[in-house]
Amino acid sequence: MVQQLTTDTILGRLSESIPVIASQSPTPHRLYIEVPKDRVKEACRILFEDLQGRYTITVGTDRRPVNGKFEVLHFFSFDRDNIRMAVRVFLDPDDLTLESITPVIPGAGWAEREIQDLVGIRVIGHPDPRPLALPDGFPEGLYPLRKDYPYNYQPPLDEGKTFPFKEPPPDATVVTVGPFFPVLEEPSQWRLFVDGEIVVGCDYRGFYNHRAIEKLGDSVLTYNQIVFLAERICGICGCVHSTSYCQAVEEAAGIEVPLRARVIRSLILELERVHSHLLWLGLACHIVGFDYGFMQSWRIREPVMWLAEYLTGSRKHFSINLVGGVRRDIVPDQFDRILSVADDVDRQTNELVKAIQDDTALIARLKGVGIFTPEEVRLSGAVGPTARGSGVAIDARRDHPYAAYDLLQFEVVTHDGCDTLARTLVRIGEIFESLKMIRQCVNLLKDIPVGDLLGEIPEEIPPLKDGMHAVEAPRGEVFHYVLTGYENRPYRWRVRAPSYQNIQSVPMMFKEGTYLADVPITLGSVDPCFSCTERMEVVDQGRSQSYTLEEKDLLRLSRSKYRALKATERK
Amino acid sequence: MKEGFIRKFHSKAFGRSLWVFHTNVGACNGCDIEVLDVLTPFFDVERFGIKLVGSPRHADVLLVTGPVTRPMVEPLKRLYEAVPSPKLVVAIGACAVGGCVWFDTYNVIGGVDKVIPVDIYIPGCPPKPEAIIYGVALALGLVPKKVGPAIESHEIPMEVEDILKELTPSRPVALPVNPDGKNDNGKQDGEGA
Repeated sequence: MVQQLTTDTILGRLSESIPVIASQSPTPHRLYIEVPKDRVKEACRILFEDLQGRYTITVGTDRRPVNGKFEVLHFFSFDRDNIRMAVRVFLDPDDLTLESITPVIPGAGWAEREIQDLVGIRVIGHPDPRPLALPDGFPEGLYPLRKDYPYNYQPPLDEGKTFPFKEPPPDATVVTVGPFFPVLEEPSQWRLFVDGEIVVGCDYRGFYNHRAIEKLGDSVLTYNQIVFLAERICGICGCVHSTSYCQAVEEAAGIEVPLRARVIRSLILELERVHSHLLWLGLACHIVGFDYGFMQSWRIREPVMWLAEYLTGSRKHFSINLVGGVRRDIVPDQFDRILSVADDVDRQTNELVKAIQDDTALIARLKGVGIFTPEEVRLSGAVGPTARGSGVAIDARRDHPYAAYDLLQFEVVTHDGCDTLARTLVRIGEIFESLKMIRQCVNLLKDIPVGDLLGEIPEEIPPLKDGMHAVEAPRGEVFHYVLTGYENRPYRWRVRAPSYQNIQSVPMMFKEGTYLADVPITLGSVDPCFSCTERMEVVDQGRSQSYTLEEKDLLRLSRSKYRALKATERK
Repeated sequence: MKEGFIRKFHSKAFGRSLWVFHTNVGACNGCDIEVLDVLTPFFDVERFGIKLVGSPRHADVLLVTGPVTRPMVEPLKRLYEAVPSPKLVVAIGACAVGGCVWFDTYNVIGGVDKVIPVDIYIPGCPPKPEAIIYGVALALGLVPKKVGPAIESHEIPMEVEDILKELTPSRPVALPVNPDGKNDNGKQDGEGA
């Protein structure tokens, strides 16, 4: 039996080897500790390795207007014990360096590169200190997230600078994929190193979608405007961002949300999960060339979108949340339609899943592809179905209950397959769990008397209070950190989307012997969907020839494999 | 005369099935999945011959979503050049139309028309699939325009009319019909047939 952790035991364990400067535990589930600058790595190592905490994110803040210092926070989660904590360190503006924790926690790689780019804190000992977030040629010495940087200043870019891509291994061919991914997700660029058809390595350049959301949040907008900005972080799972942001502010300001509002939040979140998972299922089928599945699953999904529009007024950005509660009630007249849509989706998804599971060629395309072991999940900090497909049962809904999830009965769907098939099955299982929860939410709403939808909100939200909260999005855990500020807006707001960790884990899934034709579905399986790659440039190093493959060629490669499997099956 | 001329040009250039290439230059995916949604059974634009293609070289129409982030400016220009003329550009969503909430932040250009010429704007955050279909139908001339320019700037000069009369009806040529030297598509280089 592993010892149950509390905030006190964590603090005690850390104090044994590290001089803790200050600690603060506003609730039994939250802990903030301040450590000296030279002991940060050691503290993170203890939390990550000895206490088996899950790394969440690193946040850098320019606190100069307040106390003349910079601040870095490393966040960890203890999912079994419902504790979230932060290791805080203050840095002097004259010596803006910090020891990197990436050698211990590989999942911190991007977050540390990001504070280097945006806040200007130099990370020492980082294995890959290349720029990450800003466009190529952004002038050095300018850091957008510092308080003295105006949100709308666009410095001239140095045209001559290009991104320092990794050198491919000798004798490998470079396949550039991107930066346009025209059908679904953000533009990003992958450089795959291939030997024949076998992938031997890869390099990633992303952040083409960096829209300065956090900067807008802490310099222009107000608390309640950010809710709608947060929703526009992602068009597929926007509601999780706004819920998570609202909960972080509510935690910092001590606002109590009425029960009816919490149930409505849960209902909308589950509705969003159903549509997102059906969307993903369709795209996964599309990637491997099973277009019947694509069309069917989007057909099943459409009534869910209509229901969302009926309940909230919008198909995508539901705009249902406000700090302190929700904007709209769900009235008894609407219950019947919710239940009938849930029944229809349940029945039709069952039929579709049968068709998918009977298709041996499809199963063969998914099974054993993109192996991702539980140990790699821990190292990379992957979350959501990506982690649960490797048998790691982490789910913010169960581990850190929020909204009305403490009142709902549901199972955390996991699978031990560790491959793309497992991740698919987890998502399929979650569709049914979500439908179950939608029905429970409707039953709860029947019992809860109609009343306030907004909690008591103080005249002024007190400044410099920390709040962190996470919501289980369709893709994994969305984490928001808010430091309240002056003038009715946060001082610092940090968003960690699940794909931030999941995309970092993709290189780990390209195991030895991965075929080029399996790359799209492996990338797709973590759900930064990759269905239509615009253009690939193949450079054959040995013959120094260069030719261009287009998206249809990559899809053809992916699909012809499916057809070949189908043909062998018929024989 | 002018209506007939423009319609003739359209029916010649974009008369049959439209092939569209869809690109995201910083969008949140909201518009992107709505664009994909119009291809699926409930909306099914393939019945109009509209088909999503994988390469800009095959496309007649460029659908652009997103407010154009700074790293995407050059790729978007290259993409525009890769689409063969005559071409249409459709800006989908509030971001592509005018930059949405992030129109002036440090990493956003704010609107597709600041980088490449845009023909059709489909506002909405995100626009409904019906709105996207309507916008493309407008581009094709299948539905009448709700608003137009107040000043009669489309009048074709007498000399041009004379030239047009001489041309065979099967081979209309897109001539500069606007005072600024652009044809009705906003392009300099639209060659009729």
